[in-house]
Amino acid sequence: MDVIFKKGDKLIKKMKLSWSKYELSKSYDEYITPKRTVRGHLRKIGNFFESLSLNDLQELDSATKSAIKSMGINFRVYSDEGSVERTWPLDFIPRIIKKSEWDNVEKGLKQRTMALNYFIEDCYNDQRFLNSGIINKSLITASKYYLKFCKGIKLPNKSWAHISGSDLIKDIKGIFHVLEDNLRVPSGVSYMLENRYVMKRVFPDLFSHYGVSKIDEYPTKLYECLVEASFSKSKKPEIVLLTPGIYNSAYYEHSYLAQQMGIDLVEGSDLIVKKNIVYKKTIEGLQKVDVIYRRIDDDFIDPEVGNPHSVIGVKGLIRAWKNKNVAIVNAPGCGIADDKAVYSFVPEMINFYLKEDPILPNIKTFMLSNKQDREYVFQNLKKMVTKPVAESGGYGISIGKNLNSKEINKLKKDLMKDPKNYVAQPLIDLSTSPTFRKDSLFPRHLDLRPFILSGKKTYVTVGGLTRVALKRGSTVVNSSQGGGSKDTWVVDA
Amino acid sequence: MLSRSAKHLYWLSRYVERTENIARMIDVNLELILDFPDDHSLNWKPLIDTLDINDLFESKYKNYNETNVLNFLFEDKKNSSSLKNCLVMSKYNIETIKDDLPKSANISLNHLYEHIIDNKISKVHKRKKLQYITNIVSMTQNFFGSINDNLSRGYEFEFIRLGRFVERTDMISRIIDCLCVSKSSKQTHDFSTMEWISMLTTLSAQDAFRKEAKGEANRGEVITFLLKNDSFPRSVFRSLITIELCLQNLPRNKKLLQMISRLISSSERSKLYNFDDKRLHLYLDNLQKNVSSIDSKIHNIYF
Repeated sequence: MDVIFKKGDKLIKKMKLSWSKYELSKSYDEYITPKRTVRGHLRKIGNFFESLSLNDLQELDSATKSAIKSMGINFRVYSDEGSVERTWPLDFIPRIIKKSEWDNVEKGLKQRTMALNYFIEDCYNDQRFLNSGIINKSLITASKYYLKFCKGIKLPNKSWAHISGSDLIKDIKGIFHVLEDNLRVPSGVSYMLENRYVMKRVFPDLFSHYGVSKIDEYPTKLYECLVEASFSKSKKPEIVLLTPGIYNSAYYEHSYLAQQMGIDLVEGSDLIVKKNIVYKKTIEGLQKVDVIYRRIDDDFIDPEVGNPHSVIGVKGLIRAWKNKNVAIVNAPGCGIADDKAVYSFVPEMINFYLKEDPILPNIKTFMLSNKQDREYVFQNLKKMVTKPVAESGGYGISIGKNLNSKEINKLKKDLMKDPKNYVAQPLIDLSTSPTFRKDSLFPRHLDLRPFILSGKKTYVTVGGLTRVALKRGSTVVNSSQGGGSKDTWVVDA
Repeated sequence: MLSRSAKHLYWLSRYVERTENIARMIDVNLELILDFPDDHSLNWKPLIDTLDINDLFESKYKNYNETNVLNFLFEDKKNSSSLKNCLVMSKYNIETIKDDLPKSANISLNHLYEHIIDNKISKVHKRKKLQYITNIVSMTQNFFGSINDNLSRGYEFEFIRLGRFVERTDMISRIIDCLCVSKSSKQTHDFSTMEWISMLTTLSAQDAFRKEAKGEANRGEVITFLLKNDSFPRSVFRSLITIELCLQNLPRNKKLLQMISRLISSSERSKLYNFDDKRLHLYLDNLQKNVSSIDSKIHNIYF
């Protein structure tokens, strides 16, 4: 006892955590109600955290960090000095979703992804949706993601975006909305899997009590999806993962997934196209490749049709694809449905193709090319987020409430220069979850990226990758811009 | 296995083995100099001769003194065989194949890398220099040790082993060539016994040699041992046998097996004991050429 009284800091460190002292946010907090009670389905885990002291939290934090370090989980960030490797940031407080709520989200994502895939095949074939009068046709045909060489191509199961990731957010009422769809080369799934792996090591006692749904089937499902994408009849098609190389920000993920599926991780120079057939160069000679899971953007995949200076692509790949000698996953031309202007039409697509009502709501989106929309946006810029239509990773986004009047005027000028390249959405108050920062738990904003596989059937990961903005009040969750992550638990409750 | 991975494994291993051999040469020279403090003929030139990089050296330095040679062998960016470059290349080669190797191998390469990159040889205190260099040798052995102990036998292992022994054969023949041929002609007084022993030391062969030869270390005995002994792992003959073993486990090996078995049998037939300097030099030169054509053929077929 003497020791505790002599060292004041030790006394504080032994004090238990209490939700009654938790800082309330203006947003929807996923753990704590505005009355500072723990939400019903979280009671068990909420109580568990109240049994911990600051000392315990710090120990859990450092156990998490050291597990990540020793497993070498990292990502790359581009900076002025080239790209640097960073350790993956994981917050050990799990994000928890009720199973019944998740089931509905899963249905909604399946519906949405199916409609998007139908839309892509339609765009490159009959163009029924484009001619229906719902959408301005030139929005599609003039887009830089509309690839003319895809015209007339039909793919097995109408799967174009075999692998997609939709970003979901919870609004002030705690209702999930779709913020955007990532249909080109979405990344993050390896971190979802690794987060769980780390958490099992840090929190074995919790897992045995909570009935957390498993997520580790993803690599198997991904492999099946790649097999189903193949044009070849073989039951064991030759599959490779094509990476831009070790300096890519997602190289860790490329290498992880290839290893998990037991397929070769190849670079452009490992492949060669002869007579419209793709081969990989091995020590046993050339070997035919049936499916390429590519993690390279359309523009760089084949210097014959895209950027002629691309050194990471493979010459002739698109010819081989058009001849159905190799499947490319995701298919070229998918980006057309990834555009933030096209996003606003997804509810109509669901109606049009599936004759269903959308299960997951969109965020209201204003087109700056539309005069009426633009006037509204300009009057309410302080309450808006503006985004370039064809960017990802959080780049080019302006959040109105963070700008002074000078910056607002500059933004207006920028938007006017090229209005059709921008959309605006009302600023959504993202939900928060308790997150460990230094000496206690604080509310921090979150989003969620589940991953969806489209093959013969559609598969949705149970939960997904939860990203968290680590700075107080910030809504920027991207790891390239200082965001962190959480393990996502779907629990029976 | 992808050709690119095979190539990275092969070169990773060659560069680490090269690091080890260069460190060994420096180590022995440093020790030898302590025994002959005033003998200027015992300069540092033979090290540069061995690696055949005299032109590059002379474009930068006038004197083959200890400081210059050590700087050149450690730090020089233009010298592709400088220890720093060897380590940079090893790191480059391991980058995309890390996952195919035991974690401990990667960790020991990182240690070696830091040991060499974070230090400057000119800043290492005289008293610590020998230890510093001996540490390099033990770190490279750590690296290969962890591969030997932890890597499943398969193509990965064979390409690592192949690269290591191709490099080793080349380096041993260079070390013999340099110490016997170029130096003995300029000798000012007789220290040949010392010299033979130093050569054995460079290759950690003194104990094995004594057991085998049981007598005084003379030229003929030492050369025959280093070139023809069939059980010592740092003899040329043993290295060639190891290369043959690797190749037997690889696909599309017919042509290469012919080449290596021809080299092995010519090595068996050779009567080196009485070779004079000139014949020995020709013999070693020829050996290096043969190894180099095996290397080209490996690139040709597998990479």
